[in-house]
Amino acid sequence: MTVLRTSLRNFFAHKGRMALSAIAVLLSVAFVCGTLVFTDTMNTTFDKLFAATASDVTVTPGTAKSDDGNPQSGKPESIPASVLERARTVAGVKSAEGGVSSMNVTVVNGRNENMGSSTGAPTIAGNWTKNDLRSMEISQGHAPSGPAETMVDKDTADKHHLRLGDELRTIAVTGDFKARIVGIATFKVTNPGAAVVYFDTATAQRELLGATGRFTHLNITAAAGVSDEQLKGNVTRALAGTGSFKIQTQKEHADENRKSVGAFMNVIKYAMLGFAGIAFLVGIFLIINTFSMLVAQRTREIGLMRAIGSSRKQVNRSVLVEALLLGFFGSVLGVGAGVGIAVGLMKLMSSLGMDLSTRDLTVKATTPVAGVLLGVVVTVLAAYLPARRAGKVSPMAALRDAGTPADGKAGLVRGIIGLVLTAAGGLALYAAATVKKASDGSLVLGVGVVLTLVGFVVVGPLLAGGVVRAISVVLLRMFGPVGRMAERNALRNPRRTGATGAALMIGLALVACLSVVGSSMVASATDELDRSVGADFIVQGNQRVVPQAEKAIEATPGLAHVTRYKLLSAKLTSPDGKTEDSGVTAADPSYASDLRRTTTAGELSAAYGTDAMSVGSDYAKKHGVHVGDTLTVAFQEGRTAKLEVAAITNDNTSLDKGARYLSITTMEKYVPADRVPPNQIMFAKAKDGQEKQAYAALKKSLQPYPQYQVRDQTDYKKELRNQVGQLLNMVYGLLALAIIVAVLGVINTLALSVVERTREIGLMRAIGLSRRQLRRMIRLESVVIALFGALLGLGLGMGWGATAQKLLALEGLKVLEIPWGTIIGVFIGSAFVGLFAALIPAFRAGRMNVLNAIATE
Amino acid sequence: MTSAVTIPRHGGTGGRTAVAARARQVVKAYGAGETRVVALDHVDVDIARGQFTAIMGPSGSGKSTLMHCLAGLDTVTSGQIFLDETEITGLKDKKLTQLRRDRIGFIFQAFNLLPTLNAIENITLPMDIAGRKPDRAWLERVVETVGLAGRLKHRPNQLSGGQQQRVAVARALAARPEIIFGDEPTGNLDSRAGAEVLGFLRRSVDELGQTIVMVTHDPVAASYADRVLYLADGRIVDEMRQPTAEQVLDRMKDFDARGRTS
Repeated sequence: MTVLRTSLRNFFAHKGRMALSAIAVLLSVAFVCGTLVFTDTMNTTFDKLFAATASDVTVTPGTAKSDDGNPQSGKPESIPASVLERARTVAGVKSAEGGVSSMNVTVVNGRNENMGSSTGAPTIAGNWTKNDLRSMEISQGHAPSGPAETMVDKDTADKHHLRLGDELRTIAVTGDFKARIVGIATFKVTNPGAAVVYFDTATAQRELLGATGRFTHLNITAAAGVSDEQLKGNVTRALAGTGSFKIQTQKEHADENRKSVGAFMNVIKYAMLGFAGIAFLVGIFLIINTFSMLVAQRTREIGLMRAIGSSRKQVNRSVLVEALLLGFFGSVLGVGAGVGIAVGLMKLMSSLGMDLSTRDLTVKATTPVAGVLLGVVVTVLAAYLPARRAGKVSPMAALRDAGTPADGKAGLVRGIIGLVLTAAGGLALYAAATVKKASDGSLVLGVGVVLTLVGFVVVGPLLAGGVVRAISVVLLRMFGPVGRMAERNALRNPRRTGATGAALMIGLALVACLSVVGSSMVASATDELDRSVGADFIVQGNQRVVPQAEKAIEATPGLAHVTRYKLLSAKLTSPDGKTEDSGVTAADPSYASDLRRTTTAGELSAAYGTDAMSVGSDYAKKHGVHVGDTLTVAFQEGRTAKLEVAAITNDNTSLDKGARYLSITTMEKYVPADRVPPNQIMFAKAKDGQEKQAYAALKKSLQPYPQYQVRDQTDYKKELRNQVGQLLNMVYGLLALAIIVAVLGVINTLALSVVERTREIGLMRAIGLSRRQLRRMIRLESVVIALFGALLGLGLGMGWGATAQKLLALEGLKVLEIPWGTIIGVFIGSAFVGLFAALIPAFRAGRMNVLNAIATE
Repeated sequence: MTSAVTIPRHGGTGGRTAVAARARQVVKAYGAGETRVVALDHVDVDIARGQFTAIMGPSGSGKSTLMHCLAGLDTVTSGQIFLDETEITGLKDKKLTQLRRDRIGFIFQAFNLLPTLNAIENITLPMDIAGRKPDRAWLERVVETVGLAGRLKHRPNQLSGGQQQRVAVARALAARPEIIFGDEPTGNLDSRAGAEVLGFLRRSVDELGQTIVMVTHDPVAASYADRVLYLADGRIVDEMRQPTAEQVLDRMKDFDARGRTS
């Protein structure tokens, strides 16, 4: 009990000194809990949505869908109406109705603005059925009836200020059609963002499927007393032999949807937890520093405890109990803050166009448990080393003159271990940079990154001496004696400076690494575009290019040629008898000039001849394919063709790597017209000297189709840079947490140093150091520590980034570009971070009463 | 006797007044009402220039407070304190800091030196802070006087307690302050090291014309002074010139006895 009592007293006596450690624990735990609550809430939202929208039993066509959930042709697969009639007669069926729904549509208003979500949620067009009444109610107007009527969901109506009577145009693969809004329906559950438009059944069939008397799915409702499983059994038996169907109960249907959403949510969840983990790692340094300082300051007291009979274990335990308390309080507050973060994230998503409701806020019982457990375990682990050191304090310490707490020296053993680790990591990085196959290198790269990081952390205190001196020569010496004292202060406890700098190093190393990889990506892609892209314009969008848009492009004046580009699923059988399920690219022959590819054999233009094709060099090598060989190509939605290999393209590229080209004419021989997929992307070349006019004309032609963007090469590169930039900014944003914790660490170190050096400060003030000079001294110390961390981090990160680029060069990341602007910006920013971190410690030091300071023991 | 004011006479160094510092009706009180404690009770004192003054008195007599007030480290409740002709009572922190830096030297009982700086850096620190170049010849002489020539590159933790205090003395002397205040400068030293340090202080007064004020409770230390002021209950109760250790000790015993009988 005495141990606990002493710990409690110490804990509360030093609560000020633990405040920043507690905040670090709080932030990390909050981020973990916030992530869990946020993703759980998202899952709940989708669960509710899926549960509400699925009927008791759903029947869908059994044919395979392509990756994006849409069939290759862009038209939904369908079931004939006769199946519905048969289903109605099945025992246990209360009612059955046919539904029509397509996600491969774009809906625009009169000003050609896309009504779809900007967050990647789908636009869904379908017929209004009784089943929809399960999840929606008509809040305005009435359900659509007749070819020119439509109903839209209220969220979309609100977002785009749509009113009854407004005209919407729906763009489907089968064509465009217009309809006026006659009703607005409100979701009874939270709809995270899909835009939904309804028509009557006949209109939906005609316009979305291009056929009457067909449905994309059947919604079957069970009669009273019939379970979903029983109903499913009955329906399955009744429909046997009439075709291939997928028949699911409500639960199965919801589960399937949940699984696909859940997989996506897991990616988000683990990515965010990864960043929380980095923050925890950084927080560990802060906690170690705090407890080391507390133990050092209490050396005499601990010595006394030992002298009067406390065992090592008791001393050790008392420190750990303090850590436990710190971890517990920090974590509990963190759990609370986590829920706040989750709500904040939901608000943020809402402002980005993804609607989430706090009604669905889900805090699982495991969330606070996990948060508190994690916080406590990490804190206690971090305090373990200082606690052990406390246990080693000899009883004699009570008798010795306290003086300043021992200035920690970095040991030789530590240096050797650190150097060995760093060297091993360096070797691993070198190995990763020189491997022959990218897939072999990623693990080696990971090992190298971890080893060099750990090595730097271990060797950091030894590096502190040299690096801090070097920085001081450049930066501090101009501040005269104040600068010199700041330098000495930063150097007097290398272990502490090392740990503080290392905390900052981790975050900045990741920033530097990612910025190097990101800018190398842009540079490599730009370089590749410059070398191989001959097309002037590139058209693409989140819906594949529908025929009516294709026509609009082709009709644009000033174009020398327009290239169609389609991807088709197909099985390829090579002469060695091996079959690969890998697909082909069908394009117009002009594509050979739009994307200049080098060949290892044959002429690429020949591949666009009748019944000819090209393969990539990797494939050719693997299967021993030569020019003149014949491949068997079984189109998934067409017949099987025998095509002659006319060219082998060089796979030493990142654009269209490994693509197998054939002409659209050839493809059309084997694939029925209504199964030909829309264009994945389209290219165009302007007539000589008409580039500007053609670009403007193309943009104008595509105005009715806002889902597509046309870009010339300059804009394309700009877009590429923007996309990489956005991605990087998002990652930097997540890394900000780790960096904030690291900055807390710098503040912590300074604040504790100021407390520890109270007498020194008093002395200096007594012999004439002005407040301003004192504050400057502390600020400079802070800046030096921050720059030390930044220098290590940026150096390490650039090394990682360069290695990653060398490794990814095999995947086309051929150009190494170091973003010096970013690197230098981060370095200078770190100096300001140092200044900022010193604000409060410096202010407090300045306010110290000189006499009291001198009198402090 | 509640004051130790001498008749002003002119002379000494550089045409300055013969009084280096003076206190007039200085009151220092802590708290208010019932709990009010008066540490200094209307004290008048003149510190003669070029002399070694010791302030003695039992614990709680206010001797340290008086020194702190004279040195501009502490504020007074009422009254005035002058350093030469400058009134320091009422000065703002910035001016006071400057004054301490440029015109006053300090020797504390312990923890006088910055552990991160070596001996010579510690000695020149006040001048460095002020951005002044130390007078080389003077510095050498000071270092010579305190006998530290061989240890200038040593860090404080490589020096003995006596050596550390000698560095502190050298620091106080190096900037040629108008007045040096010592707060039990030998309190932590054994008698031999203490005698050494006191010897240096004495010599700096005799040979360098330095003005020194020292708080002590050690009669032997006080015997190095030209003049001893006795404080009791916040008042100056007696003074003695050219004291010997025996005289000081007798006087102290005397106070002790009176304190007990009254």
